[in-house]
Amino acid sequence: MNWFSDNVNQIALLGAAVIILATVFVVGKYIKQMKTDRSTGVLADDTWDGIGEYKNPLPMGWAITFLLTMIWAMWYLTLGYPVNSYSQIGEWNEEVQAYNKAFEEKHKNIKGEELTNMGEGVFLVQCAPCHGIDAEGINGKAQGFVDQRMTKEQVLDVINRGSAALGDNPAGNLGYPMMVMPPMMATGADAEAIAEYVSKGMKGDAPVSFAACSSCHGVDGKGLGGQSPNIAEFDEILIMKTLEHGKVGSIGDMPKFNDGRLSDIQKRAVSTYILSLSK
Amino acid sequence: MFHWLEKNPFFFAVGVFLVIAFAGIISILPDFAKSSQPLVGTKPYTVLELTGRHVYIKDSCNACHSQLIRPFKNETDRYGKYSLSGEYAYDRPFLWGSKRTGPDLMRIGNYRTTDWHANHMWEPTAIVPGSIMPRYRHHFTNIANFETAYAEAVTVKKVFNVPYDKPNMPKLGTFEEAQKEALIEAKKIAAAMKKDTDNNDIKTALDNGQIPEIVALIAYLNSLK
Repeated sequence: MNWFSDNVNQIALLGAAVIILATVFVVGKYIKQMKTDRSTGVLADDTWDGIGEYKNPLPMGWAITFLLTMIWAMWYLTLGYPVNSYSQIGEWNEEVQAYNKAFEEKHKNIKGEELTNMGEGVFLVQCAPCHGIDAEGINGKAQGFVDQRMTKEQVLDVINRGSAALGDNPAGNLGYPMMVMPPMMATGADAEAIAEYVSKGMKGDAPVSFAACSSCHGVDGKGLGGQSPNIAEFDEILIMKTLEHGKVGSIGDMPKFNDGRLSDIQKRAVSTYILSLSK
Repeated sequence: MFHWLEKNPFFFAVGVFLVIAFAGIISILPDFAKSSQPLVGTKPYTVLELTGRHVYIKDSCNACHSQLIRPFKNETDRYGKYSLSGEYAYDRPFLWGSKRTGPDLMRIGNYRTTDWHANHMWEPTAIVPGSIMPRYRHHFTNIANFETAYAEAVTVKKVFNVPYDKPNMPKLGTFEEAQKEALIEAKKIAAAMKKDTDNNDIKTALDNGQIPEIVALIAYLNSLK
């Protein structure tokens, strides 16, 4: 009798027994009443095909319920339904608004490890399908964030095609204040030297031809504090703008993430996480 | 008249049915017709996309993937904006699906790329570790049935007045024109596929005027927005 020691089973059995007993009692009572009860009262004068009617008053409880039902029906027809009608989209709007508000409130001052952890969560859901769960770009199928900012091939591609080829945003692909980078700022051996220098992380002496780049990207390649893309390393502005505008690079296309799928806090969290990888 | 109905319960029942059916029709049909109008910006599929849609149906993608985002926060967070009925105006048949063994694909075109699809169809687990989706390598060698898709487009244009060849809408034209147009689009997609494996089969097929299933399918998936 192992099953009987389970208290849910015991309660269920007890409930079943109570229901059976109550049913037997109530049914028995009414059957007895049907056998012995006789109707009393004053008959109405009219009969309908030989069927008469007693002139009894309405039972009080029934009359009150009937009246309340009529009042409720009036309210429902005039106000209840037309004014308060349910909308599924309305419920969605309320749910999202309430959630976003609570989210903003809760993570207003998020920073440090907590922010990085949130970023990792977002990255695994939204970014990892292309960039890989280890953020290394799945064998070169997407940008990797761990080893280097750009490969030599990528630098050469940008030099050759200019920024206008990197996406469909007319004001320079990523929307920096410096706007468009023209194609062919350097060619041949000069371009090779620049690509070599940038892809190795900009260590050591810059080649002479790097002057073509440094006027906009800065001598240190860090983009003059957000005027143009940082080519030395990843930074928050670069990641935010790439999420906003998407990109068409030598590796492939990156879709835009500007449809509200990520909140501002989540975007900041992702960029914090990505930056934490290259440190 | 009513006395007669009271004595003939069968015809009384028929009368009751007619009255209720009429009330139902006038209260349901206008609303239904209104909500199934295409949204502004909803366009019919190009013939190449339609070809891919046939591949999608043939290989029963809809058995595991839905195309219907419900208005719940947990769904819109993951898949994008909830679906509206007008978005399915040109779907014949709709591919809502009833089971999500894989994720919803209603707006897959917004967040996946041609290259990603090519790699993923070739070897799903290389892209998504632990994925249970089977490989679809036969898509890379099978040739899609462009003729049937063109026939379908012409049919829905003539029978249902689907706005092909209207301003800002996909062109249909003659079969040769449609085929030329589709090949141009298909070559763009093939160029964006940078799959690890050899793409020569696909290039050869396109040069011969044939469209491999994978190219048509990716065109269709990219159109889901």
